Amino acid sequence: MTCTNIDDGILRAHLDDELAGTELAELSQHLASCANCRARFEKLGAKTAQTGVLLTTLAPAGDVTAINSAVAYGQFRSEFGTSDEPQASWISRLFAPRWRPAWGLAAGAVVVAVLVGVSPVRIWAQRVLAMLRVQKIQVVTIDPTTLMSGSEPDSRPYKLVNQFIADNVVVTMDPGKPDIVSSMAKAAQLAGYPVRTIGSLGAPQSIEVNGEAAFQMTVNRDRIEMLLDEVGRSDIRIPESANGALIAVHIPKTVISMYGDCPARHGHTISDTQSRAEALAERKMERMASMNNTNCTYLIQAPGPTVSVPPDLNMSEIAEAALELAGMSPAEAHSFCQTVDWSSTMVVPIPRNTSSYETVSVDGVQGTLITETLTQGNRYSLLWIKNGVIHSLAGHGNSSDALALAASLR
Amino acid sequence: MGSAQTLNRSMSLRESSSKHWDEADFRVVFLQHYTRIVGILVRLLGDLSPAEEVANDAFWRLYRQPSLQIDGNVGGWLYRTATNLGIDALRAAGRRRQREEAAGKLVHQGATTGPLDDVLREEKCRRVRAVLAAIKPAQAQLLILRASELSYKELAEALDVKMSGIGTMLNRAEEEFRNRYLALHPNKGDL
Repeated sequence: MTCTNIDDGILRAHLDDELAGTELAELSQHLASCANCRARFEKLGAKTAQTGVLLTTLAPAGDVTAINSAVAYGQFRSEFGTSDEPQASWISRLFAPRWRPAWGLAAGAVVVAVLVGVSPVRIWAQRVLAMLRVQKIQVVTIDPTTLMSGSEPDSRPYKLVNQFIADNVVVTMDPGKPDIVSSMAKAAQLAGYPVRTIGSLGAPQSIEVNGEAAFQMTVNRDRIEMLLDEVGRSDIRIPESANGALIAVHIPKTVISMYGDCPARHGHTISDTQSRAEALAERKMERMASMNNTNCTYLIQAPGPTVSVPPDLNMSEIAEAALELAGMSPAEAHSFCQTVDWSSTMVVPIPRNTSSYETVSVDGVQGTLITETLTQGNRYSLLWIKNGVIHSLAGHGNSSDALALAASLR
Repeated sequence: MGSAQTLNRSMSLRESSSKHWDEADFRVVFLQHYTRIVGILVRLLGDLSPAEEVANDAFWRLYRQPSLQIDGNVGGWLYRTATNLGIDALRAAGRRRQREEAAGKLVHQGATTGPLDDVLREEKCRRVRAVLAAIKPAQAQLLILRASELSYKELAEALDVKMSGIGTMLNRAEEEFRNRYLALHPNKGDL
């Protein structure tokens, strides 16, 4: 060891008796012969001792070890009862490893961006909240490479996001497993709203109705900023006004119909070791994977989700932070946010380099057609809102293919 | 005091299903970690009853966690979650006190009575807690866990960082603590 590779970190570990083996031997040897490093070590020791004394003051005066943990456990069980409580699992599964490509670190941004929907109308849970409802869709292009950098399962940002969700998000309504139904009429009956089919493709290969889902979270500014620090974006700040805001998201029943040669999916039996949420996540993954199948088309119908937020929450500021995190420059994010009515708009981020979008006329309204260029051909996703229901038509082909299919909806 | 060994043992425990904990497994984890976690939280919050409340919250969150989220590292997850919740509570209490003081509801906080030594010690604790509430939560977390005698290995597991980085992180956190202490409590002669 030489002076250059002895940093204060290793000196500190030595001070704390946390070195062993050759590391300890080498450092001890060096310290014995180097007055300079010895002086550093002693100085660090003195400083550490001072703060150590202060922190030691906090040690409990009474004997905490006298606490009877068995009695505490009994109290815990009686206070918290048993297991039939809302599960945190559904939302957490959205961020499970298999979902990483789709969400990843964007989770933080997405949780915020999901909120970006939405007109103050109603009183919710004794607090006056603004109820936001999606009425239009706005696409924004982002650079996904910046936000995917921390999306590896073992990365600290990824785990922090998971931890953040575990601490701050409460699932109040679990969608459960989707109901597979045999006809569109049954789907409509289950969903509670009229459901349409793609006329030119004949009967759907399969139809599923996903249950209602709801979750709520409290904006914890410190923790979000800590996350941002962690991903190297200390420049992005969360507005003070947002701190402590309770945000509730409700997603109504969704009907998904599949047409053509969509890949066979696994049975729908749920094993003991698989929760309903797990099953749902798995199925969504299969659906995503099957998008590679060129002869498979999806039509998703979902009434716009509602988001409840405190009336004084400045959505635009939060959205700016989310968009910056997603790779927009502060100037870009600011000017984009000025153009959006955050009380009624769902923002769909798309990757800048592989996707393009255009505004089209579809189903008597204005829609957004997103085209993604892949090695195996183009993939489109046509989004529009008709009678309060968000329609999403996705498949392989060109914009004309998408528009022709949409024109045959009935 | 618990050890790395206890931490590891609990880590090997798995949930029996992804939906719920097996009651017996959960009880083992609770009994293993409860006392130590309450001890850490008493340092942060000053009293046993809020400490127990926060500890219960942490265990309740653990009970609801699917295995995937905790990566099998139950001990680490618990220390991390409990201290996160404790620091949130400490900061919230600080904000509440500020509001009450601003509203003139709180005349003076030095209500402790008893031998002079106890009163002085209690005031010093308040100063230390105010500083912990003011610095970055992650740094406060590291300091409180270390002060509660967690080894570097346990710290690395709880905070999900490399063990080799702990020394440097501790130095930085202490430097921040020191600077903030001097800024918040100048002329106290504690540092």
